[in-house]
Amino acid sequence: MPLIDIQDLKKLNQLLWNILKKNLNTAAIEWIQHKITLIVAEDKSVQLQLCFAHLPRIASKKSINVLDEEVQQINDLLPGFVIHDWTTDKLSRVWLLMQLPPDNKETYIKKINGLFAAAEMNEQIALYSALPLYFYPEEWISRCEEGIRSNIGTVLEAIMYDNPYPAKFLSEPSWNQLVLKAFFTEKEVNKIYGLYERANAALTETLQDYIQERLAAHRTVAPEIYQLTQQTETTK
Amino acid sequence: MCCNENFEERNKGEKIQTTLDLNDISGMKFFDPHIHMTSRTTDDYQAMADAGIVALIEPAFWLGQPRTGVDSFTDYYSSLIGWERFRSSQFGIKHYCTIGLNSREANNEKLAEQVMEILPQFIFKEGVVGIGEIGFDDQTAAEEKYYRLQLNLGLEAGLPVQIHTPHRDKKKGTQRSMDIAIEQGLAPHMVIVDHNNEETVKEVLDRGFWAAFTIYPFTKMGNERMVEVVKQYGSERIMINSAADWGISDPLAIPKTAALMKRSGISLADIELVTYRNAITAFAQSGQIDENDFTAVKNIDQSQKFASNSILRGGQQPRIDKNSIIIS
Repeated sequence: MPLIDIQDLKKLNQLLWNILKKNLNTAAIEWIQHKITLIVAEDKSVQLQLCFAHLPRIASKKSINVLDEEVQQINDLLPGFVIHDWTTDKLSRVWLLMQLPPDNKETYIKKINGLFAAAEMNEQIALYSALPLYFYPEEWISRCEEGIRSNIGTVLEAIMYDNPYPAKFLSEPSWNQLVLKAFFTEKEVNKIYGLYERANAALTETLQDYIQERLAAHRTVAPEIYQLTQQTETTK
Repeated sequence: MCCNENFEERNKGEKIQTTLDLNDISGMKFFDPHIHMTSRTTDDYQAMADAGIVALIEPAFWLGQPRTGVDSFTDYYSSLIGWERFRSSQFGIKHYCTIGLNSREANNEKLAEQVMEILPQFIFKEGVVGIGEIGFDDQTAAEEKYYRLQLNLGLEAGLPVQIHTPHRDKKKGTQRSMDIAIEQGLAPHMVIVDHNNEETVKEVLDRGFWAAFTIYPFTKMGNERMVEVVKQYGSERIMINSAADWGISDPLAIPKTAALMKRSGISLADIELVTYRNAITAFAQSGQIDENDFTAVKNIDQSQKFASNSILRGGQQPRIDKNSIIIS
């Protein structure tokens, strides 16, 4: 089971497809539909790898147009999942990942891991953004933790921003790592889904040390850090 | 490639404290179609951006010591399309690469077989503008085998091929490289023959190939010689690169040579062709180069730096004054 139940996942799949269709030309739609039949039929990952790499040339990299009501519908189905600032290639890639048959667990995981292994920057972004949509969600925890170690800013953002997976599945130490890393790399932490809900004593302690360290070095402290630490102090 | 053991001699000499003056070429744009950024520092990226380099191609190459397993190749190729591309973008330089099995490591046949199996996973990735750098080093049978196989791959994929020509027995090696490319069915306009010199250039151009020159201290071309080459052969299908790597090399070879060309009376139009336009024309045959991206990478990068601060270590300023003794 993925993060959302199967009926909602189907609805989300249809919704994203509708958005995709509005944002791509007919030739691109047909190309993708054709490729999906090949990808679903193959045992190996040849078509999947090729199609995944090739998608931006077909789908281009324009910002997507999405209606406010669609944004709302997505949020109702999968709270925290926001796509309005995505590009057409990213949406195409994520939608493609949703079409992989999940029946055989081992094959399913192997195929997605294969994409991660040879992923370039934008592919990594799509792969991590799709974390909340994969089946067998507990199997992607270590992958998510690995991603948080990335030094590539945009890859980090794919995990941190508008992504409901980490808040739901990461252990407390891993979650704290994500939040700390977000502050260290000066991310827009308000885009982290579950930031305040998952505040905890250990995180507060570390953040308080961090505040002291910043002040000692005559550096500024992000206001959200105070907000976060004060929140756990009051709930204690 | 360098590595003479002359470091004592080198370090003994007077320390040079002058600063580089590139005012002659200020405002010009450059494209370095052969540079191994994996082996370079962020200082180089900054200096390159300052000197007008807007985009570059990083060919897959030999890292200085042999790899022992195929996973090392997988990681190397994915770093070329991942981490290195990101690093470059932080300085507003658009990063492309070519993917291939280099000639030295083609001699480890057992490993070479495995590398050939993973290559197709990478050649269709975004920003991969060719197969390279491939060709001959010692001109062994194994080198020839994998050279031919990779030429086929380039042909099937419709990608340009970037050929490394050997240091030793260069003239014959270059001829043989071209002969084989033709035998495998490649059109000369899809082949960039690299590391040319005065002895090889005429035939390469006469046969319709692109002729690239590497401006690299001591072992390859000096840029005064390069000026003479352009005076003699013009600017058609000629391009220069730095091939800067882990050896004593110069990531500013292109802007410096452009400055020297200007001072030597070569026209701005010719300089632009040799230091920018020809490389783009040759590698854009991959369908993977869009000049708009050169400015897009700058914009994206600036906004990343100033708005969401995706610079690696928190608090780092977008720009460091190298001449200040204060590090804050």
